Parts: sequence; C-alpha cells; structure tokens
Amino acid sequence: METLINIILLTFLAIIAIAITRIRHLLVTVVLTGMFSLLSASLLVSMDAVDVAFTEAAVGAGISTLLFLSVLALTSTEELAGNRKFSSIAFILVSITGAILIYGTLDIPKFGDPSAPVHHHIAERFIYESPDEIGVPNMVTSVLASYRGYDTLGETTVILTAGIGVLLLLGRGKQDKETD
Amino acid sequence: MNHVVDILSWSCLLAGAFFLLIGVIGLLRFPDFFTRLHAASVIETLGSLLIVTGLALQAEQALVIVKLILLIVFIMFTSPTAAHALAKAALHGKLEPVTSTEDNN
Amino acid sequence: MFAAAMIAILLAMFMSLCRALLGPTLYDRLLAVNVLGTITVLFIAVFGFLTGRPEFLDIGLAYALINFIATIAVLKFFEYRDMGRATEEELDI
Repeated sequence: METLINIILLTFLAIIAIAITRIRHLLVTVVLTGMFSLLSASLLVSMDAVDVAFTEAAVGAGISTLLFLSVLALTSTEELAGNRKFSSIAFILVSITGAILIYGTLDIPKFGDPSAPVHHHIAERFIYESPDEIGVPNMVTSVLASYRGYDTLGETTVILTAGIGVLLLLGRGKQDKETD
Repeated sequence: MNHVVDILSWSCLLAGAFFLLIGVIGLLRFPDFFTRLHAASVIETLGSLLIVTGLALQAEQALVIVKLILLIVFIMFTSPTAAHALAKAALHGKLEPVTSTEDNN
Repeated sequence: MFAAAMIAILLAMFMSLCRALLGPTLYDRLLAVNVLGTITVLFIAVFGFLTGRPEFLDIGLAYALINFIATIAVLKFFEYRDMGRATEEELDI
C-alpha cells in the first residue's frame, strides 16, 4: 500500500516537473513549483522522513514561493523567446550525469534496511561512550559539536554567509533610498 | 457501542471521499473560473469536514482529536479567506464570469 | 475504509493536478494549487491513520497555514504590483 502511494506520488511529481520545463509563463512556473513542493513533502511524509517534509513544506512551498515572487516583481513574468532548441551536447551531458547518479544508487542500502551500516555499532557507541569520550552529559550536543563538529562548522558557515548576504542586499537598498 | 462509532466514522469517511470526488470533478468540468471556485469550496468545507470527523471518531488518544479539531479550524478559517481573495483578484483582473451557455460547451 | 478515503484523495490529487496543468487562466491554476494544498493536508491526516501512526498530524497543521500564506502571497503580488498584473490577453496562458 505504501509503496503504491509512493509510486503514484512520484508519478505526479514527474508530471509536474515536465510541465514546469514546458511552460513559459514564469508566474505559472512559480505556482507549479509550490505545488511540486507540497507533493514532494507528502511523499516525504509517506517515507517517514517527517522532519525533512516539514522543512520542504516551509521552505519549498512557503519561503521560496515568496522569494520567487519578489524576484518576479523586479523582472519580467515572461520567459524570453528563443534558445529552446534541442542541444545534443547538453542531452549527452545530462544522460551521463543521470547514468552516474543511478550507478551511485546501486551501492546504497535498501530503503529501511535494518542491516544498513548506519544501524550498527555507531549509535551504540554514541550512547555508551560519549560521556567518557566527550564529557558532555547531553548526547545530542556531543554528537553535534564534537563527533560531527566539522559538519556543524560548515553548516553554521553557510547560514552565516547567507545571513550576511541578505543583510548586504537589503541594507544597500535602504541606503540608496536615503541618498535619493 | 463500538460498532456504532465504527459505522458512523466509516460513513463519514465515505461521504467525505464522495464529496471530495464531486468537488474535483466539478473543478475539472465546470466551464469557467467562478463556477470552479464554487466546486472547490465543496472540497474545502464538506469534504474535509466529513473526512476529519471520520478520522476523529477512530482516534484513540485525546491529543490526536485535539489536533484534528485544530486542523479543521485552520481549514475553515483559511480556505474561505483564500477563496474570497481569489475571487476578488479574479474580478480585479477583469476576468468575466460566463453568463451564457451559447459560446462554450 | 481508510484505504477507500486514500484512493479518493489520490484521485482528487490527480484531478486537481490536471486542472493546474490545463489552466486556462492563472486563477484556475491558483485555485487548483489551493485545493491541492487542502487535499495534501487530508492526505497526511488519512495516511497517519492508514499506517496506524496518527502522530504526524502537526505537519498537516503547518501545511494548512503554509498553503494559505502561499496563496495569499501570490494573489497580493498579482493584485497590487504593476508587474505581473494580467491583461486580458495575458490571461490565456
């Protein structure tokens, strides 16, 4: 039953994706992108990735729709004509990339496989030995700040950069208005 | 008692599914935007209300029932507002309702 | 019974998808997206009961609100900006 639902939802997603590539009116594209996010979020719910689904709905259907709209308010709502003819180089490149990605998925353990490497020895070690190894009583903190410390550092760098970028863009607009 | 609740919830679910399908068939087949808006409101009021009621009758924990009630409250607040805004925007955008059946079929 | 409701919901999703792809006006598409949002909320609720784990309803709650915000945002953009206000020719997308 769940597999069937997943297949149906994936078919819907494919239909919308094809439609998005075909439609030239950008406002419609934005609306369809929001629809795509909603459907992929329900797919994620049905695959038990509830936290990712939450993010997908908030970011994909909520915030990026707003961002796209504010960009469209500054530019045109119609895609420029031309540059749409079939390019064989692009097609070959896309096919090769797709083949590589599919080849990469062959090594991934099956969905929900209990014998996947993630479910062995690592979690146990985090639970039993993190108080001795790290010395922080809260396990989540020790995983976030120590075991995967570089990962967290990268994440915070991305967020900081994005924040600085937003501040620079918005702040500059304000200054321009004041000087006018 | 259990059977009564089961039958009630199943009939609610089935009726909700029925109205859901009626609504989308209308959404697909009605001739212009305003009539489609009318069909869509069937989904958002009767359809969702009946389905959520059917689910709430099957729920075992009180928290789930509270969440379902909140869900229906949100839908009941937001969807008429969205429908109103859509109709208003469509009128502003000079979208004419179809008033005769001659020029379209 | 949950399965029957689920089938109806998936069918309804498909039909509203068709309306969103067919148009013809932007308002029709927006209406279809709005309806699809409501159906998605119902999908999450029914799916939780179908699999016996109705704890994920919070996501349905968030969706109901996010969908509303998205629709209102598009309409506001559409109605009050100079850009993107549809003329009669543009409406036949």
